[in-house]
Amino acid sequence: MLKLIGNEWLKLRTTRGFVILLVIQLVLITAGAAGPLSNMPLDQAATAIGAVAHVGLTSLIALVLGIVAVAGEYRHKTITDTYLGSPRRGRVVAAKLTLTTLAGFGLGAAGAAVSLAVTYVWLTAAGHSMPWSDAELWRTAAGGAVWNAAFAAIGVGIGALVRNLAVAVAGSLAWLTLVEGVVGQLVGRDVTRYLPFSAGTAVGRLPASIADGLPQWGAAALLAGYAVLFAAAAIRFTTRRDVA
Amino acid sequence: MTSIDISVRGLSKHFGPVQAVRELSFDVPAGQVTGFLGPNGAGKTTTLRMMLGLIRPTAGQALICGRPYAELPDPRRTVGAVLEATGFHPGRRGRDHLRIAAHSAGLPTARVEEVLDEVGLSEAAGRTVGGYSLGMRQRLGLAAALLGDPQVLVLDEPANGLDPAGMAWLRELLRGRAASGRTVIVSSHVLSEVAQTADHVVILAGGRLTFDGPVDRLREHAGSLEDAFLRLTTDRHDPTAATR
Repeated sequence: MLKLIGNEWLKLRTTRGFVILLVIQLVLITAGAAGPLSNMPLDQAATAIGAVAHVGLTSLIALVLGIVAVAGEYRHKTITDTYLGSPRRGRVVAAKLTLTTLAGFGLGAAGAAVSLAVTYVWLTAAGHSMPWSDAELWRTAAGGAVWNAAFAAIGVGIGALVRNLAVAVAGSLAWLTLVEGVVGQLVGRDVTRYLPFSAGTAVGRLPASIADGLPQWGAAALLAGYAVLFAAAAIRFTTRRDVA
Repeated sequence: MTSIDISVRGLSKHFGPVQAVRELSFDVPAGQVTGFLGPNGAGKTTTLRMMLGLIRPTAGQALICGRPYAELPDPRRTVGAVLEATGFHPGRRGRDHLRIAAHSAGLPTARVEEVLDEVGLSEAAGRTVGGYSLGMRQRLGLAAALLGDPQVLVLDEPANGLDPAGMAWLRELLRGRAASGRTVIVSSHVLSEVAQTADHVVILAGGRLTFDGPVDRLREHAGSLEDAFLRLTTDRHDPTAATR
């Protein structure tokens, strides 16, 4: 199993996709942090926390990373070679899940570090101090990284189930930006806070979710449950389907 | 008595109402080059993919060295396969593609340079595959198949994209492997490509076996190879055609 995970790591670092996603993510996080920092009062901890909360939002990029890890192999037909080398497909999917979750957490952790650094530099330059001792700041940063990891894992499941890269990416982004919102209008917050994106916002402590979202730990457990569900379906589906 | 490395028994595959392969049974002897012939859509690729565990047969089985592909303890050291020229990530270097394959099979990295040299790609190995010609991709696929120095070589339409010099080189390679007691099966829809290289021919038409025997016997069948091939692939219900 370790060999398979190592193989996925080799695949990840021999194309530029991961680095490109990382750069996009760090740019977004920096720009995202600049918003609250330039619009909100710098002497309040909520401003720094709002700046750091953008780490979680970039979990959309981690989701794409997860989808590409599987559906990208179908797109370029490298999946044939992958299964010729490792015919036990369930183990391949499990290895992808493990490595991509770690990579998603890595993306999130790098994002958290950059966003904390940007916020610190901005506040210090303006003559204010960073609220290092505020527990909410750390919950937000850590939650953002965990949200990234969970969405990377869910992405692997989606990629393995859908297999068509464009459909998987477009479909899941449409779900997150559109469907959850529309469903929310219909059935109300009592239901929607259990849906993946809403659960993510609770894990990442987005200001909007703190009032009526799930508690952070509960939401993290729910996201892990989604990831396991998708992965189980993906493994079952992948071992049965033909690779043509 | 020649030894048998690939044994196909009662193999069938239905895609919905389409019967792509129907009750196919044949053996591929070691120490020979076997041509796997048939017009486009005859079921050649489906059969090869079933041999390699990529497509699940509707009925029957294909054994390689006595086992289904998925149960081979060391698949890349037993079987090398080139299935299509497009199975590469365009943004990955040729050498990295082979490193991934070697790593997944537990083969030393030194093998990568050896096979690159063998297929004449050493100089291009540092470039990304997106810039490769079709012939170079065929060579890269072949390099991946040769990594494990396998007993069995399975090639699906390997001549596509190769220039005359490349063809001659490939013929030499296949003859050399057969001469050393290895098994080679090469599919093609063009008889003349295979006739000069193959000792043994298996012909499919409409998913059914229409001929299985030495090339010489095919010639006896209808005076010339072309006539025999044409007859065996168009008159698919001729009961005398299937000679076993």
